[in-house]
Amino acid sequence: MTTTLTAPKEQSCTLLAPGHTACTGCGEALAAKLVLGAAGTNIIVTDATGCLEVFTTKFPQSSWEVPFIHSLFENSAAVASGVEVALKALGRQNEAKVIAQGGDGGTADIGLQALSGMLERGHDILYVCYDNEAYMNTGVQRSGLTPFDCMTTTSPCGEFSWGNKHNKKDMPSIAAAHGIPYVATASVAFPKDIENKVKKALSITGPKYMQIHSPCPLGWRSKPQLTIQVARLAVQTGLYPIFEIENGKVTKVRKVTTPKTPVEEYLKIQGRFAHLFKSPKGKEEIQKIQEIADRNIEKYGLA
Amino acid sequence: MKDRLPGGISIMKQLLTGNEAAAEAAIQAGCRYYYGYPITPQNELINYMSTRMPEVGGAFIQAESEIAAISMVHGSAAAGGRAMTSSSSPGISLKQEGISYLAGSELPCVIVNIQRGGPGLGDISASQADYFQAVKGGGHGDYHTIVLAPCSVQEMADLVYDAFDLADKYRNPVIILGDAQVGQLMEPVEFHKKPKKNLPAKSWALTGAEGRKKNVIKSFYPVKGQLEEFNAHLQRKYRTIEEHEVRYEAINIHKADVILVAYGTSARICKEVVKKSQQYKFKVGMVRPVTLWPFPKEIIRKVSERVECILTVEMSAGQMVEDVKLAVEGRCPVHFYGRTGGGVPTSLEIIRKIVEIVPDNRAANTLLQLAAVK
Repeated sequence: MTTTLTAPKEQSCTLLAPGHTACTGCGEALAAKLVLGAAGTNIIVTDATGCLEVFTTKFPQSSWEVPFIHSLFENSAAVASGVEVALKALGRQNEAKVIAQGGDGGTADIGLQALSGMLERGHDILYVCYDNEAYMNTGVQRSGLTPFDCMTTTSPCGEFSWGNKHNKKDMPSIAAAHGIPYVATASVAFPKDIENKVKKALSITGPKYMQIHSPCPLGWRSKPQLTIQVARLAVQTGLYPIFEIENGKVTKVRKVTTPKTPVEEYLKIQGRFAHLFKSPKGKEEIQKIQEIADRNIEKYGLA
Repeated sequence: MKDRLPGGISIMKQLLTGNEAAAEAAIQAGCRYYYGYPITPQNELINYMSTRMPEVGGAFIQAESEIAAISMVHGSAAAGGRAMTSSSSPGISLKQEGISYLAGSELPCVIVNIQRGGPGLGDISASQADYFQAVKGGGHGDYHTIVLAPCSVQEMADLVYDAFDLADKYRNPVIILGDAQVGQLMEPVEFHKKPKKNLPAKSWALTGAEGRKKNVIKSFYPVKGQLEEFNAHLQRKYRTIEEHEVRYEAINIHKADVILVAYGTSARICKEVVKKSQQYKFKVGMVRPVTLWPFPKEIIRKVSERVECILTVEMSAGQMVEDVKLAVEGRCPVHFYGRTGGGVPTSLEIIRKIVEIVPDNRAANTLLQLAAVK
């Protein structure tokens, strides 16, 4: 028996069309879909080189149901700046909102200069950083947003190393230090929160920065079906604080659980931290990570 | 420990990718400063360095961008260290300003480009479209980098090893121009311990000035006439390199009717054509430039005096063919066959092209028929 499948006539219900080549359980694909869904069709998006760009734009196809431009790796914010000023010069700034996108490498490392310029000049742009905490597209190399003691292919663990020896760069604070009206962090574990923050950001004129924690099962070596759980534990332990900063002041936070969820709960379900559980000395390292979570809880008042 | 098995097989051989071989060869050549940034298809190199450098007490830094990586090389080279960076086409574009400054400051270093398809983000498969960029400058100003083009994993190791000596000898950046295939294919490789060459001491390096005159490294000559004088010095150095450092491989050039000119991955395929042609008594020879700059002009000029024609094969829209034409200076026709965007020429395509350019050659026709049947 043959069954003929016909595509539904109405437009795809999501603005990031299905059929792209993201991995199973990809947090970034989910985050991007939520951002677009909340932003609607009257937007122009730029996207830096990275997983999101590669899995959505395999020539000659595209998953983007909104106007889209791929920039280079280091300049999503600069290309978006160009789009925004051109719209203004043409007197068409009310027709579309501009959203610049990049991964953590494209935002916190190679793209930081362009982002800083965009924030400083006060462009009316929402910058979204999809934070999966390493260069996943090129095979899991560390980035400025890779967490402490995390194993990647360029921060290997072994005799000389526990993995990434640097702390995660505090990008939201760097963005906020530019004196911009709105900075927010979010997580794919809380989809409604992402949508609300995107809508709020787009209602504000000026530069906005949003950073979304997006687990990568391939790079984090976590089970694809656990993406949401992993993301939720990052928030609940205090390792990924969720907050809003408006005009320099923290205005809203998501509380962590009471009693406190120990960081082990988050670390043990990811292969990228597995080395911490293999020797007694690893316990000391886990304690250091617990201290990072505790500092976050104190700094943002998450308890 | 014996290093040979019965039958003369070396036990020192390792199975490595070209990228890993480049990294290991650099370490064996005394490179202790490596700065990288992720980009496919050279990631095996940076991954290897991240593990290997701490073992030998060297420095591995994953920079925040390609510009930072080449600038860290600038710093380490100025301090007298053997420094290296690697990337692939788009990343090499970002490094161009740094490469021009390194050449202008006469700082020795090694830069590996594992080429991928372009322009723009292009794709991640093998390409030879950065020839112009590597050989004709890339960055601004009248400068040259020595450009070495390996065609196998073993040659990758050998050339990277030699690259550090060449860089130190001439105080000049050296570029290793590979491609995604040479970088990612795995082949047995042996690291030959070579005798130390008598290289000049780095008396110019920035190492502190206690008890001696300070050293200054710069590429800025604002006083009228100074820059012209400095550039003349650079040009004299480049002429010396052209005189002494040309390398190439010549196969069957003495009896050939047609000569193929190709480097890197294209050359491997051309070798196959030369091999097949011998079986059918069809006279195809080959010149494989190993140094793309200095270009082996002399040998190409010599063969052009007696062959029917020359066919240049590249994985580009035609870049090296311009240098072949400059060497030939009209002595014989120079043809071109190329594929771009990840396309790799097959030996059959090359034979077809030969038949097209020498249509009355019976041996070539026979070869084409036989090759097509296979």
